[in-house]
Amino acid sequence: MVFRKRIVAAFCASLIGSAAAASAAADTVNFVSWGGTTQDAQTQAWADPFSAETGVTVVQDGPTDYGKLKAMVESGNVQWDVVDVEADFAMRAANEGLLEPLDFSVIQRDRIDPRFVSDHGVGSFYFSFVLGYNPSRIGASKPDSWSALFDTKTYPGKRALYKWPSPGVIELALLADGVAEDKLYPLDLDRAFKKLDAIKKDIVWWGGGAQSQQLLASGEVSMGQFWNGRIHALQQEGAPVGVSWKQNLVMADFLVIPKGAPNKAAAMKFLANASGAKGQAEFANLTAYAPVNLDSVQSLDADLAPNLPTAHEADQVTLDFAYWAKHGGEIAGRWNEWLVK
Amino acid sequence: MTALRTTLVDTATSGKARLASDRWRGAPYLLPALIFLGLFFLAPLIGLLLRGILEPTPGLSNYAQLFANSAYSKVLFNTFAVAGLVTLISLLLAFPLAWAITLVPRGWGRALLGIVLLSMWTSLLARTYSWLVLLQASGVINKVLMAFGVIDQPLEMVHNLTGVVIGMTYIMIPFIVLPLQATMSAIDPMVLQAGSICGASPWRNFFRVFIPLCRPGIFSGALMVFVMSLGYYVTPALLGGAQNMMLPEFIVQQVQSFLNWGVASAAAALLIVITLALFYVYLKLQPESPAASATAR
Repeated sequence: MVFRKRIVAAFCASLIGSAAAASAAADTVNFVSWGGTTQDAQTQAWADPFSAETGVTVVQDGPTDYGKLKAMVESGNVQWDVVDVEADFAMRAANEGLLEPLDFSVIQRDRIDPRFVSDHGVGSFYFSFVLGYNPSRIGASKPDSWSALFDTKTYPGKRALYKWPSPGVIELALLADGVAEDKLYPLDLDRAFKKLDAIKKDIVWWGGGAQSQQLLASGEVSMGQFWNGRIHALQQEGAPVGVSWKQNLVMADFLVIPKGAPNKAAAMKFLANASGAKGQAEFANLTAYAPVNLDSVQSLDADLAPNLPTAHEADQVTLDFAYWAKHGGEIAGRWNEWLVK
Repeated sequence: MTALRTTLVDTATSGKARLASDRWRGAPYLLPALIFLGLFFLAPLIGLLLRGILEPTPGLSNYAQLFANSAYSKVLFNTFAVAGLVTLISLLLAFPLAWAITLVPRGWGRALLGIVLLSMWTSLLARTYSWLVLLQASGVINKVLMAFGVIDQPLEMVHNLTGVVIGMTYIMIPFIVLPLQATMSAIDPMVLQAGSICGASPWRNFFRVFIPLCRPGIFSGALMVFVMSLGYYVTPALLGGAQNMMLPEFIVQQVQSFLNWGVASAAAALLIVITLALFYVYLKLQPESPAASATAR
């Protein structure tokens, strides 16, 4: 018993110790993102200039883990200051009270595209789901809309679709079925699944960007739904892949501050910088993801700009993150039922 | 050997009371392990299971939600079907391998065992991706088969049940080979010889003498593989199709995307209960185990 008490005491002491260490080093921001080239670019475009300007050290951590974020907030032991999350999660987490409200006296809200800002999160970047295809796997005619995905006669081959029950697949099925863009929500799930049934056996599900590129470039699939940045990267490498921007489906990542973040004030300043015109333009030039700041467009590289969603705004359908934040759970229930049927 | 036999006879002839007290004599030495497991395994596990009935409101609503959704029972079925299939196939493949390792001259046996172990040193993710490269429609196997005119259309070996079973069987084989080989090398070859001298045909000798002697190795290897397969995430996620979703993937979805920890822990709790029930049946079937001793002996 004494032994056990000592263990508990030692454990507590180490906790207090680490808390003290954290408060001593007040001038840091712990930044959490998805790793890989995205986080490298975020370091280069946002963190390094921010540190040079303000003297605040930005500690890179990751990958983003929604479960961990919730556990930290619930246990009151928050180690993350700024987290890059998907837009629908940002809204769901806000509804659950897991996020700090943002201070818009520090962050300039009016220059950010209103689609990508909320009381608890500001856009990190935005991207589009586009129709990508491998010309060597399909006939002479080029697919030019989501309905091509469902036309396996004209365009034979497998289809790559995003695996998780999140905004995208349901919407593209409804659009292909002739639902008007402004009538998408509330989502008609029965109609969407009925449409998807037609190609269910031809679908190859992808769970990450690298996997999706591999599927398309190798010809494993003839076409599918892809993140625009990944298609652009394939084209840069010389892979013969084509893209259609018609009704490109806009999705975004948000930057959020978990409730109880240790360096809240510095985190707000970091968000102000990251969502500013300069930070957004630089990040876009490094990644081919689109900037959320309205003033960034003119600073984009000339040869990159046509390949960004910002150049295809007339064709955009913005996915309703708030709708998904609210109904995501029940949609996932239906989704799983349909999937394993 | 003689010494061992004497001890056995000693134990058998001594009184039952002494046997019982002997059995618990070493118990205090278990304490460190028990404390460790209690603090770092049992306590968090209980905490996890409690979430299933406490979140978001106390009651059985999470369980009701699970059973109301037809996906869950299908996912649960998938999980046990895949685990069972993987166990069976790994066993069929590992048995001859373990036997070969036992039979070949000692140096060769070590080398073979080394190769089996070597596969375990490489990253799981890398090995799973290599299977993807081999098995996919434009992959090595399909290209070779098509070049030789064996097939016209690429075989669908990945993003479905086939892919999962191939990938997982490959990963699980060492976990059966090791206990099985240990059991086999401990079998006295004279016993088999005695079998044939007594007139048993080779088949009879194999099924009635050799297999029963291998049983402890088969049982422990199969159990390990089965239980590990139930909780496997990476390989099914990469090599399987979404239609073959297994429970770990379902749980990850609930934990990560929807923060539905109540439902996730209810799903995990059901998996634990079913696994424990199966484990009990297994112990009953295995004559060497304490649970079976009451009835089988």
